[in-house]
Amino acid sequence: MTPLRVALLLAAVCAVAGWQVTLIPESAIQMAVGPVLVPAVVAAALSLVTLAYGLSAWRGRQVDEASDPAAAPLPGAAGRFASLLGGGLVFMWLVVPLGFVIPATLCGMGVAHAFDARPGLKSATICGTIALAFWVVFSVWLGVGLGPALRWPF
Amino acid sequence: MGTFEALMGGFATALQPATLMWGFIGCFLGTLVGVLPGIGPALTIALLLPLTYHVPATSMFVMFAGIYYGAAYGGSTTSILLNTPGESAAVVTALEGNKMARRGRAGPALATAAIGSFVAGTIGTLALTFVAPWVVEAALAFGPAEYFSLMVLSLVAVSAVLGDSVLRGVVSLSLGLLLGLVGIDLQTGQPRFTFGQAEMLDGIEITVAVVGLFAVGEALYLAWQGRESRGAEVMKVSGSLRLSRSDWARSWKAWLRGAFYGFPIGAMPAGGAELPTLLSYYTEKKLTRHPEEFGHGAIEGVAGPEAANNAAAAGVLMPLLTLGIPTSATAAIMLSAFEGYGIQTGPQLFSQQGGLVWTLIASLYVGNVILLVLNLPLIGLWVRLLKIPPPWLYAGIIVVSMAGVFGASNSVFDIGLLFVFGLLGYTMRRFGFPAAPLIVGMILAPMAEQSMRQALIISQGEWSTFVTRPISGTLLAISLLLLVLPVWWRRRRGD
Repeated sequence: MTPLRVALLLAAVCAVAGWQVTLIPESAIQMAVGPVLVPAVVAAALSLVTLAYGLSAWRGRQVDEASDPAAAPLPGAAGRFASLLGGGLVFMWLVVPLGFVIPATLCGMGVAHAFDARPGLKSATICGTIALAFWVVFSVWLGVGLGPALRWPF
Repeated sequence: MGTFEALMGGFATALQPATLMWGFIGCFLGTLVGVLPGIGPALTIALLLPLTYHVPATSMFVMFAGIYYGAAYGGSTTSILLNTPGESAAVVTALEGNKMARRGRAGPALATAAIGSFVAGTIGTLALTFVAPWVVEAALAFGPAEYFSLMVLSLVAVSAVLGDSVLRGVVSLSLGLLLGLVGIDLQTGQPRFTFGQAEMLDGIEITVAVVGLFAVGEALYLAWQGRESRGAEVMKVSGSLRLSRSDWARSWKAWLRGAFYGFPIGAMPAGGAELPTLLSYYTEKKLTRHPEEFGHGAIEGVAGPEAANNAAAAGVLMPLLTLGIPTSATAAIMLSAFEGYGIQTGPQLFSQQGGLVWTLIASLYVGNVILLVLNLPLIGLWVRLLKIPPPWLYAGIIVVSMAGVFGASNSVFDIGLLFVFGLLGYTMRRFGFPAAPLIVGMILAPMAEQSMRQALIISQGEWSTFVTRPISGTLLAISLLLLVLPVWWRRRRGD
């Protein structure tokens, strides 16, 4: 990932936004400004600044912390990144069939592994305690609906 | 009812045991999140928004105010002991505070930060008490055109003044505006940017965006860097927590100057707390009789910025309560909380919900006292928190983030959106895009559009109304200046 690729990504967002603007139905109600104008203006503004950013990135004038020795990532960045995101995916996949605690524990273990904790009994115990504690605080004390702590899917 | 009588009425409610309890919880939580890096008051308030279904509005806002002020207090502890600001506004405190700690003067550094925060927080709250009614009076003359222009000024100021790049600020702002328009158009019922998904019809929850950007995004960024788990040195709390006569003499003027920087700048659109802390630091550096100490642990370099930080926190509440305009991410979340209760902020808030507003303001005074009492005696607890190993700290942050978002909607889609915003937050952090314009843009986009369309209905389609109305025209002119001046100034300095 580089600033130029970020610019290309933003350009893709602008293209999608522009396409979506064309899909907004016009209103039957007579008014000076309908539902299309402001989204169109914002999409156009984003496109303009994206172009400016892209030109600036192409000239090498944009920042990327990866190129700063003090802030650059240590080896293994992709793995750490994937571990954290993987934890999130596991939670999304399992929270409905299994309840809150087990998916949150697994997610927590993924996050902890992204910060160099070894997956194992210690990690599972600590993350399980964290997940259960937050379930109790939110669900039992604060009355916020998190669903069941544990659910047997079969 | 006069201001003083209204304030006394507010105290009568704020000092009731139940309200005091919520204030204490807010102050405790706020200090906690201020101490811990990776969590901020915006994120904390966002996570607690589901409570709005269960807790009365007054108690909730007293707690939120406690969190808000508490975070300003707590951020200094991490800055001084860990050289890692717990809050962005505490960055400047770390410059001198950590140096003081390394010289064995952590105690006086913490003490001057806490006392200065109390003094300036009280001054800021006094200013809020007596200035807010004037602003409300002036704001009653505002129509939709003026509100639209004021929001344009806020949006431009947030993107152009903060951060080190106007261009990246405007990119962030434009993206925020686009995201804020997702959902159904309120006036015509037409879906916009929903991709045919039912979950998108109500728009993107601001909670999901804030939690994603600040919690998940920060965790992703730090995991990517891989340096966090190496650990940082936590300084011991050395030296007495009492200030010597010399420390008092060097601190009190810095507190007052910091307060007078913090409140007006915090009250301005995009003022925030970072700018006044920087101004305070450079002022103290110029005025000190001990210039040789700056860079090596000068107490004025802690006293002034911490005071500015806390006074700015009070200042930020002013446009939120009197005009309904959020000028920071935290204020934007608090606006969401007001909307959750069906309360409209702005000039009418003081007349329609006077009890709630004055209780909130009174609780700020009480909160300042609670925080002064909480911070120094509990310093041992805060230091222990700093020693939580990063894997478990960030596991806890992500789990609580998911709990907050899932608890609000029970939607796996929102969890997915949370991580999408997390990826966005990581990208923004890595490539230097400021997050505040995106959040403020998301909140203000629909509001600005509504104001604009109402103004055009009133003017019967005449666009010149935004320029010909004096207040509106002035605000738009200032916006234009703010957009052009930084670029011109940088070019001139480059010459």
